[in-house]
Amino acid sequence: MSVLFRTLILRPLRNDLLRSLLTLLAVALGVAVVIAIDLAGDAAAGSFQSSLTTVVGKVDLEITATGGVDERWIGKLAALPIIVRFAPGMQAEVKIEGVGFVTVYGIDLLGAEQARGCGASPALVTKGISARLANRFFINGYPFCKAKTIESGEANFAVIDIADFQQALGRFGKLDRIDVFVEPGEGFENVQRQVTAALPAGYRIARPGARSDENQKMLRSFRWNLRILSYISLVVGAFLIYNTISISVVRRRAEIGILRALGATRQAVLSLFLLEASMFGLAGAALGLLIGRVLAVTMVGLISQTVHALYTSSTPAPIHLGLLDITLAFAAGLATALLSAWGPAREATRVVPMEAMGRGSREVRVRLRLWKNLAIAAVLAVAAWAASLPGPVDGRPIFGYLSTVLSIAAAAMSAPALVAGVNGLLRAPLLKLFGVEGLLASRGLSASLGRTSVMVAALATAIAMTSSVGIMVGSFRETLLLWLDGQLRADLYIRSAEPSSAGEFPPIPTAVIPRLRSVPGIADLDIFTAFEFHYQGQRATLGAGDLDVQRRHARLRFLSGDHDAILRSLSHHDRAIVSEPFSEKHHVHPGDSIAVDLGEHRVALTVAGIYYDYSNEQGYVIIDRTTLLKYLPDQPPTNIAVYLKQGVDKDAVRREIEERTRQFPISVAPNQTLRQAAVEIFDRTFAVTWALEGVAIFVAMLGAANCLLALVLDRRREFGMLRYLGAATSQIRRLILVEAGLIGFFALLLGAALGLVLSRLLIFVINKQSFGWTIQFHLPVAALGGAMLLIWAVTVLAGLYPARVAARLKPIEVIHEE
Amino acid sequence: MIRLELRNVSRTYHLDEQRIPALSEVSLVAEAGTVTVLVGRSGCGKSTLLNLAGAMDFPDSGDVLIDGQSTTGLNERQLTELRRNRIGFVFQSFQLLPTMTALENVELPLLLARKPNTEKIARERLRWVGLEGRERSLPHQLSGGQMQRVAVARALVQQPDILIADEPTGNLDTASGGDVLQLLQRAARELGATLLMATHSAEAAAIADVRVYMRDGSVESIQRNL
Repeated sequence: MSVLFRTLILRPLRNDLLRSLLTLLAVALGVAVVIAIDLAGDAAAGSFQSSLTTVVGKVDLEITATGGVDERWIGKLAALPIIVRFAPGMQAEVKIEGVGFVTVYGIDLLGAEQARGCGASPALVTKGISARLANRFFINGYPFCKAKTIESGEANFAVIDIADFQQALGRFGKLDRIDVFVEPGEGFENVQRQVTAALPAGYRIARPGARSDENQKMLRSFRWNLRILSYISLVVGAFLIYNTISISVVRRRAEIGILRALGATRQAVLSLFLLEASMFGLAGAALGLLIGRVLAVTMVGLISQTVHALYTSSTPAPIHLGLLDITLAFAAGLATALLSAWGPAREATRVVPMEAMGRGSREVRVRLRLWKNLAIAAVLAVAAWAASLPGPVDGRPIFGYLSTVLSIAAAAMSAPALVAGVNGLLRAPLLKLFGVEGLLASRGLSASLGRTSVMVAALATAIAMTSSVGIMVGSFRETLLLWLDGQLRADLYIRSAEPSSAGEFPPIPTAVIPRLRSVPGIADLDIFTAFEFHYQGQRATLGAGDLDVQRRHARLRFLSGDHDAILRSLSHHDRAIVSEPFSEKHHVHPGDSIAVDLGEHRVALTVAGIYYDYSNEQGYVIIDRTTLLKYLPDQPPTNIAVYLKQGVDKDAVRREIEERTRQFPISVAPNQTLRQAAVEIFDRTFAVTWALEGVAIFVAMLGAANCLLALVLDRRREFGMLRYLGAATSQIRRLILVEAGLIGFFALLLGAALGLVLSRLLIFVINKQSFGWTIQFHLPVAALGGAMLLIWAVTVLAGLYPARVAARLKPIEVIHEE
Repeated sequence: MIRLELRNVSRTYHLDEQRIPALSEVSLVAEAGTVTVLVGRSGCGKSTLLNLAGAMDFPDSGDVLIDGQSTTGLNERQLTELRRNRIGFVFQSFQLLPTMTALENVELPLLLARKPNTEKIARERLRWVGLEGRERSLPHQLSGGQMQRVAVARALVQQPDILIADEPTGNLDTASGGDVLQLLQRAARELGATLLMATHSAEAAAIADVRVYMRDGSVESIQRNL
């Protein structure tokens, strides 16, 4: 067996080193992308653990509440007959002179560190910022001194006493959380039971790890979709292995026939070709691991930015290549290789000695199977349609993915018929357009229909995925722009200057409101308060605004119902409107009642309507400010939308607002800036997607070059003969380039058709079920056309090297070698 | 009139470190409209000589002249022009493109040379070789003899001055082989082509005006029937 493997498999691979390397690289890139996305996703999502653990020790339980925890509860809980320590916790991003924005934690410092006599409030600072910080520094004019430098890995933050925190930031009465430390000897369940019983209904007690779990859950759809996208390159790579093994089998039919005649079993022949595929799979996986590790470094930054902008704050963890990743790489490489090689390897076992010398009989069989393949394609297409109908499974669009795979399979099965049909139609125009090279190219592709179709299917898959994602992103972008038009109608927007990620809503000091009202030229203020809350164990955002102002100025689009009537019904009532993603995620419909924790109260809100929203995946519940103030009277705003009177100079008002609120850490931005920022976040979010698409296209290009090279080598006798008949080397070169162009053209046709199907699946099934957004279908014709043209041009470029090889063949050698 | 001349031509091939002398100091003259047949065992240098005569290969020493002009100094473009317009090739295994019809196969050299009226000329040539009515047939729909006749038509479609045939009857039965030989002889007589043919067959050798007996890369003897 080893001799057979060496002579029948290894030696030809070595002799055809370039093609072997191209196949290997394609598999490696496929595996690399899968690994990179996994590693980068883990790293980006991995570190939600509080940096504070190094200072205060491990927190056992955490008490939180929508709108903050009333600080008086510390005293009340301390009276419980349990041996625990309750500690207040607050945090904010604060600007410190010379250092910039730093995370500042307010805790009960007296319990952890003794204040030093430095003439100001003590602060513990991490090593990273200590060097840049003067011994005495100020937070909002409140003096602090460096009491101690602490080690905390790569995290940078400062810790001050809770009282100093409240003074410096003007946040009194409410805590972000109460940390619970269960003392040794005390029963954990007992503590949880007693504390829960003592707390009001709206308060929440959970393990700190629960937040990490929630984050992971929150990122699940995002990571799932990235992961699925990362498999595209591997799918394209699979086509390549299929092609490589097919070529192996076709080229070695004679040898296989002789071996079979000499007594080799079918099993032995099957093993030989599966071994060849495994070699590509394993070597590709090993190389893919290395490339993937390097790619992950680039990707972690991009993914982290998206996580930060759309989901929650996180610090990227170091990239860790574990045993699981290594196993995944080898499993992915090997499975792809074996699955894609199975067909051609089985075909090798069917070679009978009589047939062995009949080169090209496979091509004849492909031609004969055209109708059968078309019928299979039709069945697969119907199955794909059927799979697009069911809803999500555990929040995941499993059937949507299945429908995608079935659609790709249907397209692949229809590729031979498409190539044969279109090629037939193109013969006359090709002759007219490219002369004899066009005719020869068309006939050449007909003669190698089997492998041409596989290559067309591979390229079409990559094109389809790229175009479908392009259509989806384009549609999403267009929908977002339309939505922003309706949503962002105010002239100026005010928020805290404190940097924040998604899910964080730093407050604006309430004192800002009267100052704003005193600025001339302002018609209306929409004072909005947002905070994170929990609904059915998942995080979402609760917002409260002046919905009458909204009604008069903005244009919320509702799935159903009258805009004005819905908004009018909210004021002073326990009614809410919910965003579409919230409605999808929690199966909430107009008229339903949802229980929402507001401070100490659990409030039953009636859903008045569902509105389109594209700002976050977790979803919004919006109530009127009057309702909020009924339950949380002192809640500061987090955003203020300023509507100006007609004809007022926007910049002048902005300057006036900035002047009058100079002492407050707020930022004032015009409408355009917010809109631009939203679009930038959107574009950044899809940067990883584009990178993945790019790799898939590149792998397909490798495949095109590989396929053309194989065609050239297998048809060298034909090219030699053409030279005898008077063909110039330039004509041979042009002939290959026309073939490359034709392969690209067929792939574009199939890819565009498949892309349209996949884009609808992405928009109306996968995206809707994953994120709950309704995206309006929009065909970005110009961008798509440009991208297609570029892909086609690159396919032609991929033919350059094979064309060169063909032109350099020595006619007398190839004609006489038989 | 001397159309083709080989003057003291030698050719050695190199395979790794090994030198394989294929032709040694061969001289030969072929006149317009004559049939010259190369006879000898396999490996005696017949095919090498044909390739040199057809400007598909070049001698290490000596010279190949067509109408008195050396092929050695020609550049790639001139060589292509020479092959297109003045030389036709017929191979033992026909070398027809399997996806092209008989007519298209014959048309091919004209198309490659970007000539006009290709179909009309190709049809005439097919008629000339007796294959009228088989224009649309694909090679696998033709017999061996018919395939070789298509190959002859293709080689003659440009009215070449020199027709080179390498074992043209090697894959044919006697009757078909006879037909093909007749065609080749007609090509020389009626069209004025200089036919240079390598063969093992006595029937093929019988139509020769000049028989060149080769052995181990050298010309052993030359017999003229003129």
